[in-house]
Amino acid sequence: MDSFDSAIKRFRIPLLNDSVSAGFPSPADDYTEENIDLNEHLISNPFSTFFLRVKGESMINAGIKDKDLIIVDKSLIAKPGDIVIAMIDGEFTIKRLSIKNDELYLKAENHNYPDFSFKNHIDVQIWGVVIYSIHSYL
Amino acid sequence: MRISSNDAIALIDANNFYASCEQNINPNLRNKPVVILSNNDGCIIARSPEARALKIKMGTPYFKIKEKLNKLDVAVLSSNYSLYGDMSRRLMNLLKNYCEEIEIYSIDEAFVSISRPNDKNLYPWARNIRSLIYQNIGITITVGIGENKVRAKIANKLAKNIDYSAGIFDLARTRNENNYLKRISVDKIWGVGKQTSNWLQSKGIKNAKELRDMDENEIIKKLGIVGKRLQLELKGYKCLPIEKNKKSKKEIQVSRSFGTPVTKLEDLTQALAIHAIKASEKMRSQNLQSSNIRVFARTSKYSSQNYQRSAHRKLINATDDTNSILKIVVELSKEIYNPEYKFSKAGVLMQDLTNSKYLQQSVINYKSQKDLKKSAILMRTIDLLNKRFNNNAITWAITKTPKSWTMNKNFLSRSSTTDIEHIPTIVK
Repeated sequence: MDSFDSAIKRFRIPLLNDSVSAGFPSPADDYTEENIDLNEHLISNPFSTFFLRVKGESMINAGIKDKDLIIVDKSLIAKPGDIVIAMIDGEFTIKRLSIKNDELYLKAENHNYPDFSFKNHIDVQIWGVVIYSIHSYL
Repeated sequence: MRISSNDAIALIDANNFYASCEQNINPNLRNKPVVILSNNDGCIIARSPEARALKIKMGTPYFKIKEKLNKLDVAVLSSNYSLYGDMSRRLMNLLKNYCEEIEIYSIDEAFVSISRPNDKNLYPWARNIRSLIYQNIGITITVGIGENKVRAKIANKLAKNIDYSAGIFDLARTRNENNYLKRISVDKIWGVGKQTSNWLQSKGIKNAKELRDMDENEIIKKLGIVGKRLQLELKGYKCLPIEKNKKSKKEIQVSRSFGTPVTKLEDLTQALAIHAIKASEKMRSQNLQSSNIRVFARTSKYSSQNYQRSAHRKLINATDDTNSILKIVVELSKEIYNPEYKFSKAGVLMQDLTNSKYLQQSVINYKSQKDLKKSAILMRTIDLLNKRFNNNAITWAITKTPKSWTMNKNFLSRSSTTDIEHIPTIVK
């Protein structure tokens, strides 16, 4: 059951193996820490953190690829340089909040995709700030 | 009993909560009229501000307004309780950081206590918490402040109705309190039910100010201590405390309306079995066991047949074992079944709950103890598998036969915040 328990905790990686041969206690027992919990290390504001999935290559130069898992913290105030999620024209968009000639715009990190200027749009909402992207190599 | 002027109580609630949750996680719904339907897609239970502006009424049966909604291009959604529950959990946890005590009153409202700063002005606090909640989860809240719960509720209403209030109203810090109390009709006061309201109207008491100033003896004679307490709260005394630690649940209920009325015993049994499996799982997740298992079924409130029955079984040893509970529920379903009636709703209740951690089995011999342990391991394994591979990876055969009665949820949005398979996609 124990190995099953740890398989369940998807984000937990056991640091030490607690199966011990009968007789002597492991000398490491006293040093056994809890598991590494990625939620704890990656997410500082759990109540304002949301997960999204990227489709497409518009942020490839920022290292964000198709199918990557994106962790977004809505509590953060976006500043220039941040990668942000915006709601534009009924869709979620991922871009880098950038500044040029004292004007904010959303920059695509891929030359084949257009940047986005706030000028011609009334209804744009910066929805949250991207704090991590998780890419699978499998 | 007169409260020290430093303590305030606020009633904080989310505006258009269900619709806001949906609009916040689906860019397509932003700034669009959205309505949410009740369980079984029956009638409208929530509207976005845009839908309100179209004069779509709460409680309207969906079938009556379907065409109109279509014409007006209103987005129609089934209620998505995994989304609303998750957003509620986020909201309440955020609120905890900004008040002294919190009593979660419903999925989208909470009473909180907060002490006043030196200048007694709580508007900066309220403004801060309001913008913070919006920034963190995209939900707009209304903050009503008063000396007690009844007046906080009234303040919250005023905050919603007064244009210049910006979602915040402090009833304890207003100069013309009488004018504001006059705007609240008696039937809108927290704790005044329909009967009480009718009685008050017949006595010529129309609004909160008149109730506050009504003859005390007359209130006590008719409404007893409850009425007196209500009047005292209207006057600014504190009678009802913040209930921080709601008593642990006394029962667990799982019940659903049927999509189409049920007349066959097999269908009723199947529905109850499915509810029982869910209820047992809920109990185990909270380390609870039940020693009184109850099932009930009833006909529609709107039908001329008015039939309702329940049956229960008391157990010597409390249990959380799905197999034992299923056996009992299947037997009980025969007791409440009646072929002459069309059932519109059925459910199971797990009552007399005890904490399984401290449980004593009354008569235990070695064999039954072994069996108990075996069943506990089996249940735990099933729960873990279902958690790992999403709901109902493993379940009981009775749930798998065709169902003719399931609830209509034709317009359900995704579990965008709680299920990795359903998280929103960024397309550009």
